[in-house]
Amino acid sequence: MTKFAVRALPVALLTLTASLAWADDVPSNTVRVGEYWLFYHVYADNIKGPYVPDGLNLSVKDVQTPYLAYLRRLATNFTLELSFGVPPLTKTYGKGPATVGSVPYNGEEISTARWLAPSVLMQYVFLDDSYKLRPYIGAGFNYVLFYDRDSTAAGNAAAGGPTRISLPSSLGPAVTAGLNYQITRNWSVSASYSASRVETQLTAHTEGVARTSNITFGPQTFVVAAGFSF
Amino acid sequence: MYRFFCHIGVALAAAVLAACGSDSPTGTESASTARGTLAISPPLRIASVDAATFQAQISATASGPQLLEITGAPTCGVDFYYIKFWTVGAAAEVTESSGALMVPTGAAPACSGPRPIVLYAHGTQFEKAFNIANITDPTNTEGALIAATFAAQGYIVVAPNYAGYDSSTLGYHPFLNATQESGEMIDALAAGRTALPTTFAASTTDSGVLFISGYSEGGFVAMATQRAMETTGAKVTAAAPMSGPYALEALFDAIVTGNVNVGSTLFTPLVTTSYQQAYGNIYSVPTDFYSATYATGIATLMPTTVTPYKDLFLQGKLPETAVFDSTTPVVTVPGNPVLSGELTALLAVPSNPANPLTPLFAAGFGNPYLINNSVRVGYTLDAASDPDGTATGSASIAAKAPTYPLRLDLYKNDLRNTSWAPNSPTLLCGGENDPTVFFSVDTLTMAAFWSLLPLGAVTVLDVDPATAPSGPFAAIQAGFQTSQAEEYAYLQTVAGGGLSPAEAKEQLVEEYHGTSVPPFCSIAARAFFSQF
Repeated sequence: MTKFAVRALPVALLTLTASLAWADDVPSNTVRVGEYWLFYHVYADNIKGPYVPDGLNLSVKDVQTPYLAYLRRLATNFTLELSFGVPPLTKTYGKGPATVGSVPYNGEEISTARWLAPSVLMQYVFLDDSYKLRPYIGAGFNYVLFYDRDSTAAGNAAAGGPTRISLPSSLGPAVTAGLNYQITRNWSVSASYSASRVETQLTAHTEGVARTSNITFGPQTFVVAAGFSF
Repeated sequence: MYRFFCHIGVALAAAVLAACGSDSPTGTESASTARGTLAISPPLRIASVDAATFQAQISATASGPQLLEITGAPTCGVDFYYIKFWTVGAAAEVTESSGALMVPTGAAPACSGPRPIVLYAHGTQFEKAFNIANITDPTNTEGALIAATFAAQGYIVVAPNYAGYDSSTLGYHPFLNATQESGEMIDALAAGRTALPTTFAASTTDSGVLFISGYSEGGFVAMATQRAMETTGAKVTAAAPMSGPYALEALFDAIVTGNVNVGSTLFTPLVTTSYQQAYGNIYSVPTDFYSATYATGIATLMPTTVTPYKDLFLQGKLPETAVFDSTTPVVTVPGNPVLSGELTALLAVPSNPANPLTPLFAAGFGNPYLINNSVRVGYTLDAASDPDGTATGSASIAAKAPTYPLRLDLYKNDLRNTSWAPNSPTLLCGGENDPTVFFSVDTLTMAAFWSLLPLGAVTVLDVDPATAPSGPFAAIQAGFQTSQAEEYAYLQTVAGGGLSPAEAKEQLVEEYHGTSVPPFCSIAARAFFSQF
């Protein structure tokens, strides 16, 4: 089975990447729309500050959101991608003791924030325009802007009062790898997996006191999208 | 291409702007610094515990089970709020102060709806960082006691930290300043009442019933507050000052003449700094009052930022017990050698073998020492020429204003220095063997001072009577005596430190004022308040 599979794979790839009739007339611009699965991979320090018991930490729930991107073909093998997801509502959950005093904590949704994360990636696209299926890799930067930062009722109860959340924006490196399949001259589908690094500090301001946690996200995203080139 | 990117940029910016709502807000900081104003509203809730959790948390501490035996199991949960409010210092300086608002919670009928307020004044704290609202601090034993005694039984508690402590910007504490401290209590009460409807426990409301209590310095403050409120016609339902130095002039007359109380090397800089700030008459330079050994930095030493405060002794900032010079000063009264001799003898190191407190008092003398002999001589001459009533068998304050500055300041703040007497039922609680705030000099003097009031207006409770327990508080007296006996035995066990009987007795004396009496007087205060 193994030998057959190894031999068969190049044949299949050749089939999939058969030369295209429109290879000489490749559009420069592509817009992609798709779905974006975001896996946050959070590491947070325990929350520090006045009146905070030991061991209080945070977790962030993974989300799924629509994906939008614009790609500019710079050369046969180089494409610049500007992408972002529709800012997902990111939910932060308490992680640690079941209660703080008698206030439920572990597993409680304590805050939410919108996460606008545009990326600029320079992609190297393998093969040439005559191939339908072209893998690519890329590297660039990811900028994250948090807004609509809200403490929930459970968060306010745990913090001790109405709480304002501060999450500074962050700029970090990003890498990606993916496959693009050109269906027609204008239409394509793609799938990619990206990773970046986001470091920020969550500060909860409650009635004159501030509690902080340094948070490192290692967000990984899986994207499936349809592209239109023009 | 450039134009296209511009369009994308604009589109992105528009998307961001359209999506950006406002972040959730936190509390509002008051623009007003008028006294009694709540500085941040709503206040921060430091902790929230239901009755079962509170009981479990107290039980988990070393002395918790005994405390619960005295106070009873919590009926209510307690929300601990940290209030910040505006008040003034001794010289009318505008300053922020802070404190606790403890709110009962829970389903039991006594835990919500209209509830009485206990306005509580805490005992002297030596560390500036003290915050009675911080129930998460295991050293905050007074906060836990008050919460267990009052809040967990359905009383709303308002308790200031006092100006000069915690986050207060005042650079000193107006210690035993009746006007400032009572004014701050009233400011804390106003702020607490403002805060209450804004808390998570808004279903617990102020019933309008107001009790005032406090322990040690707080006993003095509680009585001064009762006086200030009743004098202006404000409603006080009942009051229970506990173990307070009410008769300040009499107390310091006793101390200066050799009855050196436990903790006096720590209390002295608090008193002198307070009165120096208020009246400016204690010294021109600290060495006028303090020995050169300790004068440097003493004006700003207390309350201290050194934690634990006992490190002040190790650092040589204060002597541990030697408040006075072991070399007896010679007092000279011109033309009166007999009186001169009597006063000189009065200032000698105590040596009366018949007095069981003689070793304790004698420990207040040494070299190096804290206070110059010239202070004792000047003070004693003034006391001799214008004696406090306690020196002549009455309860009255000195006939005229003293001339010696420190004694004059004490006279001004002595709670007998007024025509006021309690209008609301008052319980004076203490223990007669108190080695820090002498029961006979303070509590019994005030009781005698008000002896002409109608029967029942002022009730005196000695939790440690020489006679058998009797009267309506007999169970509390018996409980105190049992507790003392148990502690004495415990201190001699391996777990208790394996002390000898003499050492255990000495330890009991040290614990008496600050540890042993407070829970019993507090529970007596609650029993007293429950009648109204």
